[in-house]
Amino acid sequence: MTARLCFSSLTSLPNPPSISSSSSSTRVHPNSISFKLPSRFRYRNADRRRSYQIAATLTVDSQTSGEKTLDTDRPRVLLEVKDLTAIVAESRQEILRGVNLTINEGEVHAIMGKNGSGKSTFSKVLVGHPDYEVTGGTVSFKGEDLLNMEPETRSHAGLFMSFQTPVEIPGVSNMDFLLMACNARREKRGEPTLSPIEFFGFLSPKLAAVNMNPRFLDRNVNEGFSGGEKKRNEILQLAVLEAELAILDEIDSGLDVDALQDVAKAVNGLLTPRNSILMITHYQRLLDYIKPNYVHIMEAGAIVRTGDFSLAKQLEKEGYRAISSA
Amino acid sequence: MAYCCYSNFSSTLAPLRLRPPPRRKSIAAANPASVSLSDPFVLDIADKLEDSVSTSSSSSFSLLQKLRDSSSQSLLSQRWPSPKDELYRFTDTSFLKSSQILPASPPSIISPSLSSPASNIITLVDGHVVPALSRIPSLPAGAFAGSAADIPPGALYEHLMAAAGELFHNEDLFWNLNGFGAPDLAVVYIPDGERMIDEPLHLRFCAVDAAEAGSGRLPLSNPRVLVVVGKQAELAIVEEHLGVESGEGNSYWSNSVVEIVVEEGGKVSHSYVQKQSVNAAHIKWTLVRQEKRSSYELVEISTGGKLSRHNLHVQQLGPDTTTELSAFHVAQGDQIQDLHSKLVLDHPRGYSRQLHKCIVSHSTGHVVFDGNIKVNRFAQQTDAGQLTRTLLLAPRATANVKPNLQIIADDVKCSHGAAISDLEEEQLFYFQARGIDMKTARDALVFSFGSEILARIPFESYRKSISNQVKELLTTS
Repeated sequence: MTARLCFSSLTSLPNPPSISSSSSSTRVHPNSISFKLPSRFRYRNADRRRSYQIAATLTVDSQTSGEKTLDTDRPRVLLEVKDLTAIVAESRQEILRGVNLTINEGEVHAIMGKNGSGKSTFSKVLVGHPDYEVTGGTVSFKGEDLLNMEPETRSHAGLFMSFQTPVEIPGVSNMDFLLMACNARREKRGEPTLSPIEFFGFLSPKLAAVNMNPRFLDRNVNEGFSGGEKKRNEILQLAVLEAELAILDEIDSGLDVDALQDVAKAVNGLLTPRNSILMITHYQRLLDYIKPNYVHIMEAGAIVRTGDFSLAKQLEKEGYRAISSA
Repeated sequence: MAYCCYSNFSSTLAPLRLRPPPRRKSIAAANPASVSLSDPFVLDIADKLEDSVSTSSSSSFSLLQKLRDSSSQSLLSQRWPSPKDELYRFTDTSFLKSSQILPASPPSIISPSLSSPASNIITLVDGHVVPALSRIPSLPAGAFAGSAADIPPGALYEHLMAAAGELFHNEDLFWNLNGFGAPDLAVVYIPDGERMIDEPLHLRFCAVDAAEAGSGRLPLSNPRVLVVVGKQAELAIVEEHLGVESGEGNSYWSNSVVEIVVEEGGKVSHSYVQKQSVNAAHIKWTLVRQEKRSSYELVEISTGGKLSRHNLHVQQLGPDTTTELSAFHVAQGDQIQDLHSKLVLDHPRGYSRQLHKCIVSHSTGHVVFDGNIKVNRFAQQTDAGQLTRTLLLAPRATANVKPNLQIIADDVKCSHGAAISDLEEEQLFYFQARGIDMKTARDALVFSFGSEILARIPFESYRKSISNQVKELLTTS
């Protein structure tokens, strides 16, 4: 509790809606907020829906207009992190020192921060990486306790993380891997599994969406892939798994401008009013392509500031020192 | 002692071609010290083998007789290996020593279960070539494949007779036991410039005479094959070792030797599949001699046997040779999978690659790898690479690996490496993060470890069936 209050006092925005002081108050947004952000929101949603309909590959539950959803129904809380603390399992070193974050569906969040501030640890903890141990706090995903789930269950629940440096898996073809992942999920949902041929039909438009050559499917997972290919492959997996919350851990690292645009385009193509993104990045450049609703600054294992896109700009201009001392 | 034998062996082989042998018999016989080393256990086996071969083969044709003569000379001076011998330091042969070893009885009724869909096949049952189970429709003109007894008199026969002493000589106990006890000699000969590569020649080694596991009896068979590939000729072989009708886990000992001569510019693609019964002993020699500009590729998949030892010796006889050796071994409960390979390079510009991979999936499983590459003084501009990787999947699972390069030449490119590990946590987590459960992930990763070698099997139908067999083995364990 104290941590959260303390945090609020640090923020520059009058009342950042995504970082709530309590779960119930999230749903009763002060009007000022709902009016402050919707113009962006509406525009983005309309835009997304259009691009989605063209792609016609992702499912969306609600076909009601974006404005209506926003104004009358409160957006559903997707992820709610409270006072999360975590240590490195081996060295017992504390990395996360009370992280608070709420992500509603349809929102795009970005976490920025210096090296070693805990950004990547935070994303790994969310997906259950065994290198870290949670020592306190709660995380709920779609109302369920995320921390009690095995990593694969978290994936089935709709959480996805694109790895900063995806590991190479020699001997397992990309096709086999994607099919395994897709069918594991379908099985969990009681849906019939797909044969390789059916799967290819399901996969083709997604390959096109991420601008990937089908030849990639015959190659071993990430083996010998260039930086851009690895990241695009992560986005392809995201497209196949149709996750509701995608954590993109430095998808801009090691990419040239063209590759970054490709990846960003693919990510934007996957956005629907129902799914959300949490980006972890060092640079504003990525945010130029994937526009966040909220920008958070992480420092020493906690989110110390939250703002909109302008915060990222300020950061780019003045550096972390100016932000953290502000 | 063991090392001594080896250097001796390679130097005498270096100038070898298919030409009349120098006198060696007299040297061995004239050495009284070696005779005094006679080992009663070895003598006992030799005695029994002598009885069995003299009764089984009516009038011994002379090529086989030459083999026996050459082997008997060496056999008497050899003793059973002990852990003090470097070559058997990690390989426990006490399973054999504690068994009652009996020569396998000659095959009587040929069961239909021995048939195979392969189009070109030579079947050896307990070391005997069985013509009823052999057919070679795509044998090139002038080529021969079958029992040495059936070689027509003529150039080929003279050729082999002349080279026999040289070919058959080796200072190893198991080699000589085989030579002494082989009831038959299978010969494959591809004349100069001919090719047999579209459909491989399947050499099927079936062990039929077997004892119930735990009975203490161990029927011993000594299959012997000689392959000669002429100048610019090409041959693809699939060699398969299996126990037939031995039920689940019957005991037998298959002590086989395959000798391959690749003449100038010749090419041999050799796939080797060992899937003996889990209570069998499988001791195997593969000796390859490569003339200049020849190429030899071996892909080995070894999963069977309680004790499996492969002695692989490749001797370079001329410059510009290519040698690619790949092996994938799986040791499950109570299995020893052992590869002792030796590649001797004596001439310039040889190219060699060796990749050895093995999985030990049980705490009593054991793999041994001793991979020696000798780059001698005249082997300049040799390019030799060697890598061994082991996955240990259970606590106390054991691997003893010894990759080693001995380089005398000063202008060479050589590399070697060894890695022993469990599955990588990062890889497992990657699967889990994509919703794939731990067991499926482990199975996929374990299988993928070997698939690098399996993918090198050159024929799709074999590649598929062997891959399926390995997959089944690895997922049920």
